[in-house]
Amino acid sequence: MVPRSRLHERLGRLDESSLAVVSAPAGFGKTTLLTEWLASLPAQQRSVAWLSLDQRDNDPALFWTYLVAALRTAAPEMGAGTLALLESTPSSLDAVLTTLANDLSGISGDLVLVLDDYHVIEAREVHDGMAFLVEHLPPQVHLVIAGRADPALPLARLRGRGDLVEVRAADLRFTADEAAAYLNGSMGLTLTTGDVAALEERTEGWIAALQLAALSMQGRDDPADFLAGFAGDDRYIIDYLTEEVLQRQPAQVRDFLLRTSILSRLTGPLCDAVTGRDGGQAMLATLDRGNLFLVPLDDHRRWYRYHHLFADVLRVHLQAEQPDDVGGLHQRAGDWYEAIGDPAEAIHHALAGGDVTRAADLVESALPALQQGRQEATLRGWLEALPDEVIRVRPVLSVGYAGALMVRGEVEGVEARLRDAERWLTTTTTTASGQRSPASPAEMVVVDQAGFRRLPSAIAMYRAGAALLSGDGAGTISHARAALDLAAVDDHLGRGGAAGLLGLAYWARGDLDAGHRWYADAAASLEKAGHLSDVAGCALGLADIRIAQGRLREAMSTCERVLQMVSPETGPARRGAADMHVAIAGVLLERGDLEAARRHLATSTDLGEHAGMPQNPYRWRVATARLREAEGDVDGALALLDEAERRYVGDYFPQVRPVPALRARVHARQGRWADALAWAEERGLSAGDDLDHLREFEHLTLVRVLVARFAAEGDERCISGAVRLLERLLPAAEQGGRTGSVLDALVVRALAEQARHDLPAALVALRRALTLAEPQGYVRVFADEGRPMAVLLRAAAAGTVTGYARRILAALAPGADSAPVLVGLVEPLSARELDVLRLLGSDLDGPDIARELFVSVNTVRTHTKNIYAKLGVTNRRAAVRRGEELDLLARPRDHRPEHAGTPDR
Amino acid sequence: MTKQPTVGPSDSSRYEIRLAGHLDSRWAAWFDGMTLTRADDGSTVLTGAALDQAALHGLLRKVRDLGLPLLAVTHIDPDPPHTSTRRPADPSKDAT
Repeated sequence: MVPRSRLHERLGRLDESSLAVVSAPAGFGKTTLLTEWLASLPAQQRSVAWLSLDQRDNDPALFWTYLVAALRTAAPEMGAGTLALLESTPSSLDAVLTTLANDLSGISGDLVLVLDDYHVIEAREVHDGMAFLVEHLPPQVHLVIAGRADPALPLARLRGRGDLVEVRAADLRFTADEAAAYLNGSMGLTLTTGDVAALEERTEGWIAALQLAALSMQGRDDPADFLAGFAGDDRYIIDYLTEEVLQRQPAQVRDFLLRTSILSRLTGPLCDAVTGRDGGQAMLATLDRGNLFLVPLDDHRRWYRYHHLFADVLRVHLQAEQPDDVGGLHQRAGDWYEAIGDPAEAIHHALAGGDVTRAADLVESALPALQQGRQEATLRGWLEALPDEVIRVRPVLSVGYAGALMVRGEVEGVEARLRDAERWLTTTTTTASGQRSPASPAEMVVVDQAGFRRLPSAIAMYRAGAALLSGDGAGTISHARAALDLAAVDDHLGRGGAAGLLGLAYWARGDLDAGHRWYADAAASLEKAGHLSDVAGCALGLADIRIAQGRLREAMSTCERVLQMVSPETGPARRGAADMHVAIAGVLLERGDLEAARRHLATSTDLGEHAGMPQNPYRWRVATARLREAEGDVDGALALLDEAERRYVGDYFPQVRPVPALRARVHARQGRWADALAWAEERGLSAGDDLDHLREFEHLTLVRVLVARFAAEGDERCISGAVRLLERLLPAAEQGGRTGSVLDALVVRALAEQARHDLPAALVALRRALTLAEPQGYVRVFADEGRPMAVLLRAAAAGTVTGYARRILAALAPGADSAPVLVGLVEPLSARELDVLRLLGSDLDGPDIARELFVSVNTVRTHTKNIYAKLGVTNRRAAVRRGEELDLLARPRDHRPEHAGTPDR
Repeated sequence: MTKQPTVGPSDSSRYEIRLAGHLDSRWAAWFDGMTLTRADDGSTVLTGAALDQAALHGLLRKVRDLGLPLLAVTHIDPDPPHTSTRRPADPSKDAT
């Protein structure tokens, strides 16, 4: 071993930097340097995570899984969330990376993460992810990237701010002293200073070359001949020296080296299978002892690989000397891997050996596992490596290809693949015995029979998905229905997928009842299939539809039921739990319970990104923006909406409440009608547009903008256009059962009439709205409108619907709704606690109270505990008695105190 | 201004790749059947069929993996007089 303290010192500077790059060609001792440097560090000082990369890691799913697994060897407590995220479906890389960066910042003590052979990574997505990670590395985590090429990272910027340690070929090459220490010390040669200088010059300090030269000279009486021949030769130095070394090996060793050179990793039984001989493990041990370029891959010396440079030269020799054997070697390696259940390596060898038929067989068998494991990039790589004519005669593989395209939202090419598969299905005839037999059996190939039986349904489902992506609602519906008809009764995943597409298509065209029915079907099938996170995804849609129908209570109960499903009693919440909390917060907000909404939004954040589905980052921001606006923080709300727009992920959902429209509403309410109008122009909206369910929310927003403009400018044309549009929107929403839109339209109608000083007309619209809204407990749809609405409500409150209108008024003026200050209480009860206390005085039990208040039983329990503490009691009866003494049990609707401290009784 | 041979991102073109050191002809298969010519100055020149950009980069990666110093990559102009008179089409003219 040659001490390399100068390089160790340089790597030591990593303490103050986030990244070290070790860049040099193969054979410059990069890996050895890093291993020795890390071994030289005091063990307790630093933990090390090491990941050696290979070609397969170009699949981002695999890359991040292995990276986290490596980190967990050093810091077992980290990464559980990231791994859960990687295993769940469908994972968003953004979420994986943010979670990973968070996990890393939680590590105590210094950690070095080494990524070796990083040059094999070509996938753009992995490079982008690494760039993000480098920018977000916490100070205690140090990254080392070693490889034959500089990594595609912003190195110049890091270098500029002194945040980069570099070790390059010129640093790694052996100096004359190091060469002498190596040759005469480690390798036990007795070379003169002149010999060493000659070798150093010819090899230019290339360590692999010096190593090969030393091996060639070991056991020679006189190295002078060798040196003379070597120094005077122009040949590629590694080739020349490998030949020298090979010539000096016994025939058996030489043959072993050549034949096993096709393997990327070596172990005894595998070598035996490939060479057709015994004693592979003993041979590996011998090569290891003889320093013949074997790199052990585990502590037990069971798995090895050849040094890359040496393996390349061996492969060229094998190809030149035994060209006809190469295919057979790969075939035997593939057989061995298939037998031990490693399809990835088996496929690699089948492809390398040119046996595409076999490779296709293996890919087809591996298809279900790959799809479940979300290894789309790997699957794509294999499918692209297979000749088209091989895929086209395999219907299962053709449909798998279509699926791999669809996963990435690519519609192009999908139909052609589906047709390739369908060709075989339509030429299939049914024989008398009822057994299916293809018309031309010699041509079609099916390996996965179960997959083949699912094809008719799968083809129709992918067609439906492609139709939905291209906005063809009718096509989506007809294909999805066909998929459902064709799916087997127990194909829950297939049935769930088809029903879900139907639900989305009906929802998109405004048929909410049908949309809800199919989506509920989809959720039930997915629950049967055990895909609980996908059930949560469906619940989002179901709740959205119920809210559009003005059925807040049902939206709430759907989300609460699914929340329980994805929140196991022990262990972390499943994916989708965070989404359910956000959806619940949305309903609570609508009902004016800001306090509870705030809590659910905080819980969603606490659960972490891995508990959220792809839509959650944007949905959380939309809900929080609404909360901020209700609290009076308009700028905060606008900033959150901007973020929500950037993070918008539709995930096949119809865009029924576009974020820019939400922002335009905030603008309109703030009197910034010019900003809002700019939005309408950009969207090409006008009061004379044809109606379309997908634009309903935008049209209702446009009306608000026009009313705001009229209020500011008094332009009569604006308001008449707005009212005419409303007169068309309202019946359309009523007909479609979209009570949410009806309410929205009535509220804006009231505002419009008020703006043109027709108070009676305004009150007619408002009273209708209040009547519709009261059973569901709507608050914010009115309260969000601020002062103009307050004026109207006061007028309305003088009439018949007083109690409810007063409650909304209370929400309109922050502070007016706070709990009364009561003598005898150290800390007053909150409004919510007062509600609970009143119900404690009734006959209702806990679950009934929870239902009455639209909260979970646990929430009621928490309120009850706080009430007992504040009242200084220990049971329900005592609480009610104390409440009566303090006059806290006034009935909420009739005797709601409007002003703190003046309960009106 | 010197005239550059025009190679578009999807064009295939012939290249000459010069490496330091003599490569035995058995490496021809490694380099996907390129012809290896050993020059007197100790370098090796790889020539062969037209390559598109992806194939060229794949080839250069193989060179890198062997640790062979790369001396030059030269684009071989298939028909110099012809290309020198060719001008890129003016899209604004098609539009009218």
